[in-house]
Amino acid sequence: MLRFSLFIAICVCSVLANKRTLVLVDNWSIRETHSVFFRTLRDRGFELTFKTADDSSLALVKYGEFLYDNLILFSPSVEEFGGSLDVAAITNFIDGGGNVLVAASSDIGDPIRELATECGVEFDYEKTAVIDHLNYDIKDQGKHTMIIADSKNLLDAPLIVGSKNINPLLYRGVGMVADPENPLVLSVLHASSTAYSFSPDKAIDDYPHAVGKNTLLVAALQARNNARVVFLGSLDFFSDEFFTFSVQSGMSNKQFPKSGNEDLALSLTQWVFKEKGVLRVGAVKHNKQGEKEPPQAYTVFDMVDYSIEIEELKDGKWKPFSGQDVQLEFVRIDPFVRTTLKNSNGKFHITFKLPDVYGVYKFQVDYNRVGYTHLYSTTQVSVRPLQHTQYERFIYSAYPYYTSAFSMMVGVCVFSLVFLHFKEEPKEKKE
Amino acid sequence: MKSSSAGWGPQWLLKMSPDKQDTLLKMLVLSIAAILSFSTRLFSVLRFESVIHEFDPYFNYRTTRYLTEEGFYSFHNWFDDRAWYPLGRIIGGTIYPGLMVTSAVFYHALWFFNITIDIRNVCVFLAPMFSSFTTLVTYWFTKELKDAGAGLVAAAMIAIVPGYISRSVAGSYDNEGIAIFCMLLTYALWIKSVKTGSLFWSCLCALAYFYMVSSWGGYVFLINLIPLHVLALMLTGRFSHRIYVAYSAVYCIGTILSMQISFVGFQPVQSSEHMAALGVFGLCQMHAFIDYVRSKLSVEQFNILFRSIVLMGAVVSLSVAAIGTATGKISPWTGRFYSLLDPSYAKNNIPIIASVSEHQPTTWSSFYFDLQMLTIMFPAGLYFCFNRLTDANIFIIMYGVTSIYFAGVMVRLMLVLAPVMCILSGIGVSSTLNTYMKNLDVSRKDKKTSKKNVDHTYPFKNEVATGVVFLVTAFLITYTFHCTWVTSEAYSSPSIVLSARAGDGGRIIFDDFREAYYWLRHNTPEDAKVMSWWDYGYQITAMANRTILVDNNTWNNTHISRVGQAMASTEDKAYEIMRELDVNYVLVIFGGLTGYSSDDINKFLWMVRIGGSTDRGAHIKEADYYTPQGEFRIDKEGSPTLLNCLMYKMCYYRFGEVYTEGGKPTGYDRVRNAEIGNKNFDLDVLEEAYTTEHWLVRIYKVKDLDNRGA
Repeated sequence: MLRFSLFIAICVCSVLANKRTLVLVDNWSIRETHSVFFRTLRDRGFELTFKTADDSSLALVKYGEFLYDNLILFSPSVEEFGGSLDVAAITNFIDGGGNVLVAASSDIGDPIRELATECGVEFDYEKTAVIDHLNYDIKDQGKHTMIIADSKNLLDAPLIVGSKNINPLLYRGVGMVADPENPLVLSVLHASSTAYSFSPDKAIDDYPHAVGKNTLLVAALQARNNARVVFLGSLDFFSDEFFTFSVQSGMSNKQFPKSGNEDLALSLTQWVFKEKGVLRVGAVKHNKQGEKEPPQAYTVFDMVDYSIEIEELKDGKWKPFSGQDVQLEFVRIDPFVRTTLKNSNGKFHITFKLPDVYGVYKFQVDYNRVGYTHLYSTTQVSVRPLQHTQYERFIYSAYPYYTSAFSMMVGVCVFSLVFLHFKEEPKEKKE
Repeated sequence: MKSSSAGWGPQWLLKMSPDKQDTLLKMLVLSIAAILSFSTRLFSVLRFESVIHEFDPYFNYRTTRYLTEEGFYSFHNWFDDRAWYPLGRIIGGTIYPGLMVTSAVFYHALWFFNITIDIRNVCVFLAPMFSSFTTLVTYWFTKELKDAGAGLVAAAMIAIVPGYISRSVAGSYDNEGIAIFCMLLTYALWIKSVKTGSLFWSCLCALAYFYMVSSWGGYVFLINLIPLHVLALMLTGRFSHRIYVAYSAVYCIGTILSMQISFVGFQPVQSSEHMAALGVFGLCQMHAFIDYVRSKLSVEQFNILFRSIVLMGAVVSLSVAAIGTATGKISPWTGRFYSLLDPSYAKNNIPIIASVSEHQPTTWSSFYFDLQMLTIMFPAGLYFCFNRLTDANIFIIMYGVTSIYFAGVMVRLMLVLAPVMCILSGIGVSSTLNTYMKNLDVSRKDKKTSKKNVDHTYPFKNEVATGVVFLVTAFLITYTFHCTWVTSEAYSSPSIVLSARAGDGGRIIFDDFREAYYWLRHNTPEDAKVMSWWDYGYQITAMANRTILVDNNTWNNTHISRVGQAMASTEDKAYEIMRELDVNYVLVIFGGLTGYSSDDINKFLWMVRIGGSTDRGAHIKEADYYTPQGEFRIDKEGSPTLLNCLMYKMCYYRFGEVYTEGGKPTGYDRVRNAEIGNKNFDLDVLEEAYTTEHWLVRIYKVKDLDNRGA
């Protein structure tokens, strides 16, 4: 009983625990200028702790445990974090499973750039901005840095970005490029082909850091431990102003009453703070067809039942996952069987025949879809060859050989009988 | 020789009849020889402890334990998923079970009598015990060949011959330990059945042959030698009904029995190594038939018939052989067999065979080292055999000559040579002594013997005889000393525990291997996969109880090659291979700190060769690991490929900070006698998990993929 209640307590804690969020700001005014954003977070149950980035009491870890589950870095210009916080502490936090939302701006400081580099994203230098001479908003002040990002440039991943049919997005800030070596970075939103990233006040005497569609405005990283990190080059993106601004391009007269920023911000925060797209593996079962328990080792050609329960986090509750494309692989270095699992209310199951090759195999479900946490489940089993009693005892096609062998034996017996015993008699009779 | 010492026995001995004295002395000498052969093999147990030695014995020990715990049928069907990950290995079908079954029988018998001995001790002491049995069998065998005197000498000799001791010291729990006994037993029974021509002895011989087949792959030598003997007898016109009965029975029953061993299977009727036996069997039938026909026909009729049949037979057999080889029914000549005929074959073609040190050709010095005076007495024994040729003598001559050839090809087959050396030397020594003992003038003691006629054609008869007897005695004494010395110094090291002499003359014990294996056992997850070079596979599974990729049963060349590729590649490439094979830990043996020379760097070229021998490793070329001058160097001059490969990095990680010898810079490798060329480097994909006290074994953990991407 005690154990059970403890279990419940842990569950409750874990639901609550996912909401503990530390918000680091450059100055307290951000709380006012971004009030809408923070209010929506609070409404969704997040427990926000505001601190300035140079607060000397900053700490993510206490007594070996993380104090927060999520970290919002709205402090682009910080040159040095306060307290025990530094880039290593934040990467450590990510490696420990914490989620981070980073918003930068043109006053980007070294720690944020360093953190981004650690996560496979490279911010452009300080004082630069994404400039687009064709897609700027009319409220722009002549430097064409307040650009309009088309919602068509969003990543095709509804779990991360929500609907793609939203109004254009307003953006003012620094640009990024993704590290091509890093397979985990997602370019959530890229600029249009006419954009580039450079200092708006200087003459262009060098090749820009990022050009055209390579310029990322929003980048995301889902680490291998499923910690999520989102980078935005624009702190203003989340501001109350940008949420409510109408959008009108400086080149054409098409006008939208409200920017899509709020919609995207909602989807992004839902994703980055793991309210959406979270899967988990429940019971994994495998056994020979018609049996209940998994055997010590399977035998080649066995029919095997395999089932795996997968659940998805929806509105704070674990619900059966409804995907239809979950595949099972039966792997020994290479997959020997690859098959799609049948989904019956979150329980994915299949019955298949084992290959005729013995060895140590793994039942492997490797479900890796953009937006979802990486679902990976392996179960190692041995597949043994037939036992000496399991072979066919009499082979039908070998009956002629059996006959020939036995008739031969009989023949030899008869022959030797005749040869040994009946030879003498006729001789005696003749003589 | 020893039986000649009858005269100096105590008084009661003299009261017995000469017959009884004779028997008593024989039994005394024989039992002393048997006890001696047991006790001389105990050096390692006394010096270290009752441990299993080397590599293969660990596998045998593990399988024996499994057999005693799980019973024969589970053993027979055993699929081992802890070795050769992820391929697994069918153990029941790929081993010779004789050794394990023997120990299990002993174990259960002892337990039945409430002697609660540990299975490990049964395994440790099995080989010495069987060498005692070998001593007895040798006596019997030699007695059948010559006489009891020669038998006693041969028995005393085989008790301590180093060539045999090298494979049968306590703890060296390997197939050869019992196989030599089986082989000699089979030979003795074969001689017995040839001499008597009785079905009883032939059947016993077939049974002994079955035991031999069940215990060692070397039975192939036996199944070729016996037909060769029969063939020689046919050619010398000594073919008779006795031989016909003996060979037909032995071959038929023996072959059917040998096919019951699942590892042997259908080989006796398919593979080329067994074809000689089959062919001689056919010849036997023909010879007997011809003899029968000849007795019924006139000479002219017979000659016509004979010629036509020989022609027909030649044509038919040739075409059958051709068809069989073409269709693959007669299996192609396997590599190990080729390397017997042509010593350079394996080296040129199959690196995995050539890499084993015991497959190397024997050096001249090791003949003397392992056999000492037997090398000299062997021709003498041959001479005495030729002197009085019998069916049995022809056998021992053939055995001696063929095994000398094979022992020259492969060090390992010294083992087969040692017994015949002892037997022939026994015959030689005994005959020599017999000859000259008679000439000794012993009249001083026994007055009744008359000095009848002094032979004038043979001057100094007594003196010469005394000289010869003293010479032979001196030989035998040096032989005893030599054998004991070799056993103590060379063949009694368990190689799992190393020892060295310290500067002050004391013994230093390096117990790093067991330290590392126990570390693995206690500090890694149950299902962790350990990658190491195959030499250490058996030890890791037996002692650390962890899954390994390759082991000493080198049945899958490509898998070993894959490990060789990982060791010979750069870290990045190796990481791909290690991920593919789910490797968690990597284990290397490094002797640079202690000066232990058979470490992985010295074996490294074999890894390169074996790694490069398959398609997937075609990019690994041996030449890349040499300097442009063609040297294998680990210092600054060494090839950059070598200095950056995984094996180099694992061995020399942090070694650049260590002082190993006075007056030398840091990172001085005491095996290669050079300062290492690549000192301050970090490992990207591995982290050091454990290094033993003397750095002999180093274990690395394979890192996971980086959490945040590349």
